[in-house]
Amino acid sequence: MAEPSYGRCNCGTRRRGFVNGVVVALEAAESHFLEAERSAARRGLLQGLDPRIKVAATLALVVGATATTSLAVLALLFGLAVGLAALSGIGPARLSRTVWLGVLLFTGAVVLPAVFLVPGDPIARLPLVGWTMTLQGLRSAAFVLGRAETAATLAFLLVSTTPWPHVLKALASLGVPAPVVAILGMTHRYVFVLLQSALQLVEARRSRIMRSMTASQRRRTLMSVVGVLLERSLALSAEVHMAMIARGYRGEVRLLHDFRARPVDWAFLSAAVAVPVAILALRA
Amino acid sequence: MTGTAFDFRDVGYAYRSHRALDGVSLRIDLGERVALLGANGSGKSTLLRLMDALAFADRGAAFALSAPLSESAMQEEAVNFAFRRRVGLVFQNPDVQLFNPTVLDELAFGPLQLGWEKPRVRAAIAVALARFGLAPLADRSPHRLSGGEKKRVALASILITEPEILLLDEPTAALDPASRADLVGVLAQERGSGRTIVVATHDLDIVEDIADRAIVLDQGAVAADGPVAEILHDIGLMRRSHLIFEPRRGRPADPTAMGGS
Repeated sequence: MAEPSYGRCNCGTRRRGFVNGVVVALEAAESHFLEAERSAARRGLLQGLDPRIKVAATLALVVGATATTSLAVLALLFGLAVGLAALSGIGPARLSRTVWLGVLLFTGAVVLPAVFLVPGDPIARLPLVGWTMTLQGLRSAAFVLGRAETAATLAFLLVSTTPWPHVLKALASLGVPAPVVAILGMTHRYVFVLLQSALQLVEARRSRIMRSMTASQRRRTLMSVVGVLLERSLALSAEVHMAMIARGYRGEVRLLHDFRARPVDWAFLSAAVAVPVAILALRA
Repeated sequence: MTGTAFDFRDVGYAYRSHRALDGVSLRIDLGERVALLGANGSGKSTLLRLMDALAFADRGAAFALSAPLSESAMQEEAVNFAFRRRVGLVFQNPDVQLFNPTVLDELAFGPLQLGWEKPRVRAAIAVALARFGLAPLADRSPHRLSGGEKKRVALASILITEPEILLLDEPTAALDPASRADLVGVLAQERGSGRTIVVATHDLDIVEDIADRAIVLDQGAVAADGPVAEILHDIGLMRRSHLIFEPRRGRPADPTAMGGS
């Protein structure tokens, strides 16, 4: 008789697919946050910069990427983002796994029709359906995809090289309203509490599963987990609000921030701001 | 320190159809260290919330620091501000209380909300980090802390504003023995501070270390009120209030049998 095991899954294929899938997805979400925290703590070019400068520079470069009408400039900006990532200890493998693939799939699906629908010079024809790809369609798809990939890479670099609390404080010091900053901070803070709750709920459910679940049972399980989580998050939000009031909160969030920008920070910001300025000047 | 911290007269409070407090009358003077004892559901946490003006009595009269504790009174900015400056509550679940991105921000929250100047906030944070041994955790996110560390941060985040009255809801719940001893040590240090301390707990082991007076709640009413030693040695009372197990035949009654967590 086989020894029973109490590891990740000692269950049927269907259960492994569903319950374990949820657990793995929740664990992946948490490990993604952990990975971001680790890379923010490493030494690197972007990690050493003032968070306010990084937020402003990222914004400037994203504006540059969306303002340019040249694919070559867009490629240069994308290359710049990849270079900054490399100098900050973030390799192409991680970028492709975390950012590029997802953006490619999502944006690619959105822009794919443009390749065939935008009128212009035909460059190829799909054999079975007979649809014609146009140069202009391909160009506009490349622009959308390039802009999305560049902007997502830059945003990812910001949050991967800056501890989240510093991003929040940078946003606050750059004039983003304090309630918005507080909501972003609390969302990040309580995502972990709710992730933990979700994991416990799924684990508890798994520990009581005796046989394979049918599709309707799986749906019911998922819905009950979602329902319980919603109830818990509502109760938690009421409690947190009470805890805030107990400490003097009266609708206005005040934050403590003490960043100091050095000459190297200003130089980085100047270079970043020069990009959209030059692009807009050339367009004008 | 003289004066009255809390004066509750025939106070009642209900959550919809469930009456959590029913005719509670008690008076706590400034500087007293009081333990609110009671089994789960006896009304301890509700009473603390009423004391911290997070909920309001639906029956009877409640006063804190000689002023009425009512919703209309607390809606006045000046009254609310003065009250929050003088009274601090440490919640049972630190995840509720630690809502800021880092430990440092957590410590800064209360003083900043109370309008302290930033240099004063920074100085207070430095003192709190040293006093509670939190300096290595200053930039950590609260969700990365252990249960004991979270409780310490929660306590530090309240004590940083130096409230005259400190309310604690089950401070040792879900703590391992070392963290529990650590927290009790911090609370025991408060003995000479003159601060009024009201602790809701069913952890009988810690009561003598942190309080001089005990108020026993049972089903939302005050079942007993007196010196800690006297209350803890009233085995009949402890049993009736579900604070100790009914001793099995042949085994002596142990007033600390329900203690610990």
